[in-house]
Amino acid sequence: MTSEERTREILKGLYDAVVEYDEEAAVKWSKKALEEGIDAYTAITQGLAAGMEKVGELYANYEYFVPELLSCADALYAGLEVLRPHVKVKQVETKAKIVLGVIEGDIHDIGKNLVKIMFDAAGWVVYDLGKDVKLEKFVEEQQRTSAEVVGISSLMSTTMLAMPKVIKMIKKQNPNVVVMVGGAPLNLEIAKQYGADGYAKNAGEAVKEAVRLVNMKKKDSVHAK
Amino acid sequence: MLNRQNQQNQFDKIRKIENRVTTKERIEALFNYQKPDRVPIGYQGIPIRTPGLKERFPNFTLASNYNDPETTFYVSLWVAKQYSWDLIPHAFAHTILGGWDFGGEIQMPRGEYQDSLSIKSYPVKTESDVWNLKMPDPKTAGGIPMAMKFAKLQEKHGFLIGFFTRSPFCVASNICGLDLFGRWMIKKPELCHKLLRMATDHIFNVLQYWVDTFGAEKILFMMSSPSESNQVISPKQFKKFAFPYHVEIQNKLRSIGVRRFYFHICGEQNLNLPYLAELSSLWVHPSILSFGHEVDLEIAGKYFPKDIIFGNIEPVVFQSGTPEQVYELCKVALEKGKKLPGGFILAPGCGLPPLSSPDNLYAMTKAVNDFGWYN
Repeated sequence: MTSEERTREILKGLYDAVVEYDEEAAVKWSKKALEEGIDAYTAITQGLAAGMEKVGELYANYEYFVPELLSCADALYAGLEVLRPHVKVKQVETKAKIVLGVIEGDIHDIGKNLVKIMFDAAGWVVYDLGKDVKLEKFVEEQQRTSAEVVGISSLMSTTMLAMPKVIKMIKKQNPNVVVMVGGAPLNLEIAKQYGADGYAKNAGEAVKEAVRLVNMKKKDSVHAK
Repeated sequence: MLNRQNQQNQFDKIRKIENRVTTKERIEALFNYQKPDRVPIGYQGIPIRTPGLKERFPNFTLASNYNDPETTFYVSLWVAKQYSWDLIPHAFAHTILGGWDFGGEIQMPRGEYQDSLSIKSYPVKTESDVWNLKMPDPKTAGGIPMAMKFAKLQEKHGFLIGFFTRSPFCVASNICGLDLFGRWMIKKPELCHKLLRMATDHIFNVLQYWVDTFGAEKILFMMSSPSESNQVISPKQFKKFAFPYHVEIQNKLRSIGVRRFYFHICGEQNLNLPYLAELSSLWVHPSILSFGHEVDLEIAGKYFPKDIIFGNIEPVVFQSGTPEQVYELCKVALEKGKKLPGGFILAPGCGLPPLSSPDNLYAMTKAVNDFGWYN
């Protein structure tokens, strides 16, 4: 049985490895966690993911920028690769799911990739459709996966015009799904105009907003019953 | 107030904007620190919904902006006339784009929603690709031959000749993709500097081709820097990876005698402004500095009092907003802009959405007619 102090030390090692974008350290501490009997799920959520949450904060506060965020994500994934196979099935069953993609005609995916990292880190199951995604594909993937959230990204003013159409298509099939949009030309006002449930200014805020919206939907459906 | 009922009357009224001087004279006045007749309206792209455009130019599509310099040239002249725009800056897309010029696979705009050229495959994917990368031919790479055709039309019609490049940082990161470039900035900066070196040299090589063809004095050197924004990199990273190459660019422009400089400082760059102000000691004043809505015009004026400030209406408002919103934003910008010591050009703060509503564009012209005249 690992002492509390040692557990804290290992979790801090994982946390720091992510914040300091140190892939080698992330692998080293992940292996140590397993060797010393720390639950893999705990190591992910309280070590790696907690580190990535801090990174999200640093990013939102203009202390970290895209290069740091991408490098932190590399450390996160390096650790996850070691730990994930050891997570017990029960622990992952209840995870929220999101379908993510860059809308048809648009190949700018750096923003979407950053959002994916933040959802991965927060323990969501992410179905990443990539870039230049046909509108129907968003609908199909949501139905196939029963994801609670669909996140759609656009960097161009012309491609964002496809958003109202795809939101309508998604909602027609499943009115309860939360649709979020993001990307440089968008803002909250346009997101509302387009019929989206939510908008996040940056990757750091996207997860919080998604959690808030999913909880709100759940409450609404309880009230409706 | 503009509304659809009295739209025609309003448009007629707007078209009565009586220019007291030509665009050329207006811009020359700005370059000589003189007040022109009115605030110029900057050119930021072709809105394809402009009434009459389809009938007059049936072959013009969004892809024409990237593959048909001749049609694009004449469409741009015609569109500018419809809205009383001054044709500055004026160029055929970007003369230099990293990914295309260095051998990447590109895709022309296609489908219902795409409006710009995109890179399907970057020429550099691995570390060894960087060391094996070859310099492009400055006369034939990417879209350079088409940009040259456009430039020759500008010469024929007596315009300033546009040479439009992304900044070295943007060209370099476009060779391998911003994700990989960003990672290398942290882990392998020497790879970034190698790409930056090649990007800068490529810009110089193509610029030399322009200078040899037209003469340095006729050229407007235009540059944009979206990937340097603080939405992507920190001011420290700007100083380390972008700044030294900007210094080289300015020194080169001076040494070859190119005196007209337009710089689109794209997106959120407030944290970079002190470094850019430091850099401004190297460029010829006044230069035209274009800002997005993220940088306040008064702040821009404080950092760059000797330069002409260009901008900064949020582009998406021309597409998704109302004429009233555009009119109000322009009114505020004009009030601030007319007080700027180095001069002012009203314009969208970045590329104009091609699907912008003509009503919204007329609202910008109307605002200039109502508030943009100098006494």
